Amino acid sequence: MSLGPEASVTDETSAPTADAAEVRGPAEKAIAGRSLKQIAWRRLKKDKVAVGGGIVVLLLIVVAILAPLLTKLFGHPIDEYHIDQIDPTFGTPIKPWGGISSDFIFGVEPTSGRDVFSRVVYGAQTSLTVAFLSAFVSTILGVIFGTAAGFLGGWIDSMISRVMDLLLAFPQLLFSIALVSVLPYSILGLDGRWSRILVLVGVIGFFGWPYIGRIVRGQTLSLREREFVEAARSMGARSPRILFRELLPNLAAPILVYTTLIIPTNILTEAALSFLGVGIPPPNPSWGGMLSDAISTYQTDPMYMIIPGGMIFITVLAFNLFGDGLRDALDPKAR
Amino acid sequence: MLAYLIRRLINAVLTLLVVSLVTFGIFFMVPKITGSDPALLYIGKTSDAASIEGIRVKMGLNDPVLVQYGKFLKGLVAGRDYVSGPEVTHCDAPCLGYSFKTEQEVTPLLMSVLPVTLSLALGAAILWLIIGVSTGVISALRRGSLLDRTVMSAALFGVSMPIYFTGLIASAIFVYQLGWLPQGQYVPFLESPSEWFTQLLLPWITLAFLFAATYARLTRANMLETLGEDYIRTARAKGLPERVVIGKHALRSGLTAIVTVFGLDLGALLGGAVLTEKVFNLRGLGYQALQAIQGNDLPVILGVTMIAAGFIVIANLVVDLVYGLIDPRVRLA
Amino acid sequence: MSRNTRAIAAAGVALALGLTTAACGGSKSDDKKTDGASGGKSAYNLAITEVVNPSTAKGGTVNLWGAQDADFWDPARGYYAFVWNLNRLYTRKLVEYAATPGKAGLELKPDLAQAMPEISADKLNYTFKLRSGLKFDDGTPITSKDIKYGIERVWATDVISGGPVYLPAVLDPKGEYKGPYKDSDPNKLGLKSVTTPDDSTISFKLSKPSADFMYLLAMPGSGPVPQKRDTGAKYTTAPAASGPYMFKEGSIQPGKGAIFVRNPNWDPATDPIRKALPDQITFTVTTNAEDMDSRLIAGTVDADAGQTGVQAATRTKILQDPALKANADTPVTGFLRYAGLATSVAPLDNIECRKAIIYAADPTSIQAARGGPIAGGDIGTSMLPPNIAGSDPKYDPFNRLPGKPQVEEAKKALTACGKPTGFDVTIAVRNNKPAEVKSAEALQAALKPAGINAKIEQYDGAQQASITGSPDNVKAKGYGIIIGGWGADYPTGTGYMQPLSDSRFIPKNGNYNLAEIKDPSIDALFDQAQLETDPAKAAEIYSQINHKIMEGAYYLPFVVDKALNYRNPRLTNAYIHDAFGMLDFQALGVNDGK
Repeated sequence: MSLGPEASVTDETSAPTADAAEVRGPAEKAIAGRSLKQIAWRRLKKDKVAVGGGIVVLLLIVVAILAPLLTKLFGHPIDEYHIDQIDPTFGTPIKPWGGISSDFIFGVEPTSGRDVFSRVVYGAQTSLTVAFLSAFVSTILGVIFGTAAGFLGGWIDSMISRVMDLLLAFPQLLFSIALVSVLPYSILGLDGRWSRILVLVGVIGFFGWPYIGRIVRGQTLSLREREFVEAARSMGARSPRILFRELLPNLAAPILVYTTLIIPTNILTEAALSFLGVGIPPPNPSWGGMLSDAISTYQTDPMYMIIPGGMIFITVLAFNLFGDGLRDALDPKAR
Repeated sequence: MLAYLIRRLINAVLTLLVVSLVTFGIFFMVPKITGSDPALLYIGKTSDAASIEGIRVKMGLNDPVLVQYGKFLKGLVAGRDYVSGPEVTHCDAPCLGYSFKTEQEVTPLLMSVLPVTLSLALGAAILWLIIGVSTGVISALRRGSLLDRTVMSAALFGVSMPIYFTGLIASAIFVYQLGWLPQGQYVPFLESPSEWFTQLLLPWITLAFLFAATYARLTRANMLETLGEDYIRTARAKGLPERVVIGKHALRSGLTAIVTVFGLDLGALLGGAVLTEKVFNLRGLGYQALQAIQGNDLPVILGVTMIAAGFIVIANLVVDLVYGLIDPRVRLA
Repeated sequence: MSRNTRAIAAAGVALALGLTTAACGGSKSDDKKTDGASGGKSAYNLAITEVVNPSTAKGGTVNLWGAQDADFWDPARGYYAFVWNLNRLYTRKLVEYAATPGKAGLELKPDLAQAMPEISADKLNYTFKLRSGLKFDDGTPITSKDIKYGIERVWATDVISGGPVYLPAVLDPKGEYKGPYKDSDPNKLGLKSVTTPDDSTISFKLSKPSADFMYLLAMPGSGPVPQKRDTGAKYTTAPAASGPYMFKEGSIQPGKGAIFVRNPNWDPATDPIRKALPDQITFTVTTNAEDMDSRLIAGTVDADAGQTGVQAATRTKILQDPALKANADTPVTGFLRYAGLATSVAPLDNIECRKAIIYAADPTSIQAARGGPIAGGDIGTSMLPPNIAGSDPKYDPFNRLPGKPQVEEAKKALTACGKPTGFDVTIAVRNNKPAEVKSAEALQAALKPAGINAKIEQYDGAQQASITGSPDNVKAKGYGIIIGGWGADYPTGTGYMQPLSDSRFIPKNGNYNLAEIKDPSIDALFDQAQLETDPAKAAEIYSQINHKIMEGAYYLPFVVDKALNYRNPRLTNAYIHDAFGMLDFQALGVNDGK
């Protein structure tokens, strides 16, 4: 998952190749049990850090949903110019600290004087939409192919495993940049912002599924041989029934955890692509795009770099804290 | 063992082949789908039909895609010729293509920027491995202590910081405010080892901070897991010194996971640390790739993708082999 | 308009015969001009009007850095303005721009030629006599045949594309010649309209009179090329030198730079234009423009080769420090930034709707998007830059100079257009030009209050020729407003405005007449100008064309481009050459011999 932040986010339990996954398989048995939900919930509630992360996540989601309202109440329209806030010669805000004032609570954008608060709030909308939807795409694909590979086995398994290996061998960030940059700016008659969001969701989601797929495959493989599945089979249960009644419920926990953990990676990837200029097209705001704009002025107006950068950091941190807590709650062995 | 090696090698080559086919297909098909003409990328202000046709012939764009791909593969194995007016340019194997934008062969172009990426990736890797693993081990041994908590919080911060933010902050502070470090400008090692070092120091540290975080978390988790295993208890019961228990037994089995992740990270980084190179203005593979993408220089894009995929595939291969060496439970067959 | 990714500057050759005061647009600053004549004195914008640190001291190395590499060193293929400027170091032409600041620099002087040509009474035959003692860097003499061969290469766009292709229209309008690489003539000299009766004589037979022909001969692509050393597409990696400098062997490294060293076979007695002071000139490509700026200030780099202006942080530093400011200039670059209003896209087929856009636009916010009054440029009012003859900076038909959007006027125009509540329109902008994207955003925001809802569509700048350069595509995609910029290839009204406004200059791809102006009276005026040999009268014609373009509301001018550049105080003979809007690199020397 080094797609986004150019840092390893490869999780402890995931392994690089099919061979290795088998080796490590036995070590990562999911804890099954009827009261799993309650146990996990109780554990999660006790984990103050995770709860804090969760609250920030919820807050951000609310902010993203209420972006139009918040902008109306506390800011100015995202594309409204306030050229009077800008020093014409240097292009930087006249007021200190990036032009922060009671009227512009996060300051103004250099050269244009647009309201940073509104742009950050709308940026949250973009960021979270892309992150959630692409995590959803990855999860759906990962679960379908992962269970298919693990459950059906044989040539289907080796085919799917091959494809997953291949995708992991792709230089993903490079490929995403190239792919996003050659795709047209408007598709399906949508406007620039939403068609780009769709493209980003597609590309990020697509490159993310092998990670989920591999974990699901490993889990399915180990579950398939477990007693309760054997029992169901010996009682004459058919494959679909085993799949949906026995396997999937037991896969739910790891799927939930990894979906949660893939979201911050997706946020970083979206921001990275916008930073490199292939993300959400202007005048629509995005955190990565703001950071990239800030490069030319950050020596004279550092606030304009700190605010969007700080937002990315807080969001990703909150998701990571919550995801970690969730994993610990669902899988006590990890800690 | 030998059979396994051969099988893995064949696999690696096949993977590279498919990657090249897919890349080739996408970048040469997309213009057809969107209706743009790649030849038009190379003409100037005046664009008459003759010059467009000339470029098409020169680039071989009139051939079917599969023929073009075949020629690409042939170039890779045996080299190929490019006609450039009165002269024929021979591109030696392994020929990754010819950039018509800059009139040069892709292979030497990429080889000339490779040292930048190598310096960046290897230097950062050494740093983060040392920092990450050692803090991870200490945290695991002093589990729950203030040190553990501090390290783990710092690690979480590191994981959550994108390089394009940390990098900017780091240069704002150390380059522009304090003036401790020079501004990014790669200096070859042979030209001036000291400048090479000082110029790369900031990118190394920034990158290592990011990765060390993951490694500390990873090491700690693995150590904790193995410290609870029976054989560690046995080793301790035998009266082995703690140093040996930790170093020889606990860490060794934890190493497998670290080696795995390390190999993949290094492979990916070597294939193009696009963001780091952009933030620190280092003209490496990633930077070159970004420029090629912006300038639509298809042969260069294809070349970088191939090299990057090559690094990842090789890293995978090496990881699997090393795996067998450190983890006695794994038998390569 | 810059081509492809070649952004920063296609040849921005700005003109002669123009109005001098206008040529130094931003020079009204109070701290301009301390007495510049005294050697060693420097002042803000001084290099625009006079030679700073005049000297004849030889030796040393001039260090030029650039954030962008040359497109091509092959003289027939290069198109960036700074490459044309550097080309003066190693390529001589029959005629060349004089080496002087101000409008005098736009005058053409004989270079390889002994004197200006003999022109026949029907203005169709030009005959040049070459100087004696001319040699290439390898010692072989330069003959008229080498010049003819060099000129023929302009035809070979199938092999060496990239550069401007003007000569075929004048010398081979029917397209009979296919270029030297397909030439059946054993000496590859098959172009019939150029003849070389002997080694020191060359004559041209034009198909129709052309007042601008001499400017075409001053382009780098009209320099001599020895046929034996021509390697076609590869020639750009080792071009021959006829000027005082040549490329150090193997020094051309794409993406890294090049080194110029003295050409031992250049004889100063044959060259009245070039002084050739330094022993060496290095051109280094950097990935880090900020680093380049701090080296400029520190004095370890002498000048920015691209001359496109310092970065924002350095701009602040220079303007706030009088000592630094004294070594800076903000010349006009010869570029205009504007938006073309495509007449093929409804409702912009209606002139009133086009006027509504021009009135609604906020001149100040767009100027800020381009970098503000100092680093960006003055507010543009018409389509002829102030340094080209015929321009009148006071001509402001849409009252843009006060710098305010005129929403009332825009609404009136909308009513006249039959769209009182406004309309929807698409702005097309290159994705690889941040300043252009910002201009598009500013324009979009300004159009909103008038009820004009603009949608911004970014496109791959590298594919400009086939996207906004294709009238069919513009119509199909509905690109009503197209952001662009243009610098003339040679400093006359024809060189500047013809590609932008002549209906006969609308090719299927690579079109720059963005508005698709089809006005027979404009076409006729261009023809008339080609017959006019009196510059003053030609200027009058160009003024008329400019008025017609503005009256038709075809273009919305943004700014008259300027760039804040810093020059190292150790540079001698530093002045801005008006043909390029940048330092004249060939004249530079250093005062410390290093």
